[in-house]
Amino acid sequence: MNLLLVGMNHRTAPLALREHYAVAELAPPLAKLVDHDVISEAVLLSTCNRVEAMVWAARPDVARLRLHSFFERDLASGPPPDVGVPLGDALYEFSGPEAVRHVFRVASSIDSMVLGEPQILGQVKDAYRAAVESGACASILTRLYQHAFAAAKRVRNETRVAERPVSVARVATELAAGIFESFEEKSALLIGAGEMIELALEAMRDAGLARVRIVNRTPARAEALASRFDASAHGLEELPELIAGADMVLSSIAGHGPLVTRDVMERALRGRGHRPLFVIDLGVPRNVDARVDELDGVYLYDIDDLGRVAEENAEERRREKVRAEAIVLEEAQRFDGWLAALAAVPTIRDLRARAERIRNRELERAVARLQASEAPQEVLEALTRGIVNKLLHAPISRLRAQEDREQGLATLEAARSLFALDEGDPDSEPTPGEES
Amino acid sequence: MSLHALTEVLYLAAAVLATLGLSLRQPRLSRAAVGVLAAGALFHAGAFLQMHDFRLPRQLSGLRGAVSLAAWVGTLFFLFLARRGRLHTLAVIVAPAAFLGAFFGAAEHLPGAVPRDAVPLWAQVHVLLASASFALLGVACAAGLLFLAQRRSLKRKQPPQGRPALPPLEALDRVNALAISVGFLLLSLALVTGVLWTLEREGQLWPRSPHASAALVAWGIYAVLVGARWLARQGATRAAQSAVAGFAILLAAVVGVGMLT
Repeated sequence: MNLLLVGMNHRTAPLALREHYAVAELAPPLAKLVDHDVISEAVLLSTCNRVEAMVWAARPDVARLRLHSFFERDLASGPPPDVGVPLGDALYEFSGPEAVRHVFRVASSIDSMVLGEPQILGQVKDAYRAAVESGACASILTRLYQHAFAAAKRVRNETRVAERPVSVARVATELAAGIFESFEEKSALLIGAGEMIELALEAMRDAGLARVRIVNRTPARAEALASRFDASAHGLEELPELIAGADMVLSSIAGHGPLVTRDVMERALRGRGHRPLFVIDLGVPRNVDARVDELDGVYLYDIDDLGRVAEENAEERRREKVRAEAIVLEEAQRFDGWLAALAAVPTIRDLRARAERIRNRELERAVARLQASEAPQEVLEALTRGIVNKLLHAPISRLRAQEDREQGLATLEAARSLFALDEGDPDSEPTPGEES
Repeated sequence: MSLHALTEVLYLAAAVLATLGLSLRQPRLSRAAVGVLAAGALFHAGAFLQMHDFRLPRQLSGLRGAVSLAAWVGTLFFLFLARRGRLHTLAVIVAPAAFLGAFFGAAEHLPGAVPRDAVPLWAQVHVLLASASFALLGVACAAGLLFLAQRRSLKRKQPPQGRPALPPLEALDRVNALAISVGFLLLSLALVTGVLWTLEREGQLWPRSPHASAALVAWGIYAVLVGARWLARQGATRAAQSAVAGFAILLAAVVGVGMLT
């Protein structure tokens, strides 16, 4: 039995290919996977950046072929798109400890496109839950994913890999959190529009921002944006009054010079009392005069400021990745240890059964001899010698029969280790059954 | 271990936790510091009761006892503010200050340190009010210091350190405004009761002591600060700077002069 993972992600497959194999409903393909003879457990992960199938299989070579055909036939939504990357090149494979480490890295978000992004852990949990609910996940993969979640938690708690924001929108929200106690009761003024500024606004809306006012050169565009953000639309001529009433100004409007001059800002500040004003200027050329930042109570950030913060944060995350990798490796090794111990169980069971058969046979003989009134001392002597000889017969025969020198030495070493020949007096050691 | 010694240990532990919480950017440690500080305040209250044989406070006229009381009142005021908002990191200043105050006042908590002679009512009220105002103005100073640090970080466009380490400017300014306003009111009442005490004791309105003169200067400075804040609509940054400067003068006036004389 072995663990095997086959999948594609943002590094190996372009978006067109990933979306071709992505699945929304996980239960039907999972049922097809575990329906196969050699696959006993499976988890299927499908996100915008990766599609991966993890299985616990009796014959990895057969399971590998099955997983490739699974992508080709069961996951594909029609003929593959012509994106210049054949499916075979887009798929990667991991088996055994490598597969374990990969799952742990994915859950810990260190294999993500944006290092440390928080969504992936939830997506892996959803994939695991879907596998459990559809009966595709049993003891091995349950243990594996529980370990993966624990590793992800450790990475999150013990490193700063996910701590600092790396998107301009999130950086703006974090900076605003250093100024305002909460976004409730706060109002934002949007000057112009743009993808980044809308993302920042959405992030602040998520954090509870109360009111939004929108100013644009084109009234129709302002109206359209206002309806999207449940806001009010205004003309540029109202700008000083609107700034005076705002807590945040987010600006990104096309133009040839600063729209908000120091003079405009000074006039607006007179009517605001002690309230601080947070200004994000994403316009190029800049919409807000840089000297505005010299005014007390005004905190101005332009696109370079935000970009620099985002880049410094990303660099910090990259530094933290080394620590995260160490945690993942440690946790993966812990799981590997558990799996190895699990693999020894059938051998231990067989060994015990064989020893028990020998003991019973020798005991029967001893009882028969006692009933025949033989001397107990002699019977006991024969009984114990018989058990020892029969138990050791096979291993000693194998040790003597080794033809290959390398193999022979390895077997001798294994025997010395198994029977603890280099350790102390066996009388002083407890038997396994006596251990607490 | 006496109740007061236990108080000192808890305040010190809170100071260590708050410092670690801020430097390691672990909000859990800062929150734990607030909890330990609350436990310290509880034992501090017990220490005061023990000092007065579990009867109503009768003796608080000594400088050391007054500083210890100020530490306790300041801690309670901070705990009241820290109930809401992201203010727990303010403990990084409040906890060490509480420890120093309790440590300074330790001698007055020793058995027999407090005289059993009757003390005039005005003296008791004066010391209580002065200690409380000292505590609140101290909290305003702490909030002012953190405000200036946070403002500097924001103005220098430094990256936000993940979980925001310092409280937001808005919260610090709110604390500053509240503490200065109530603290100034208490300081004014302390001055009035001080005059009444002097009148009762010496038959004159104003004692010719360095302590009284320094306290009057400090009151005058705070009167200007409060006026600038509420009447002249002074900005938050200037208010924070004023709170720090005002408390430095008050500290010199009350504790410095009190120790020298």
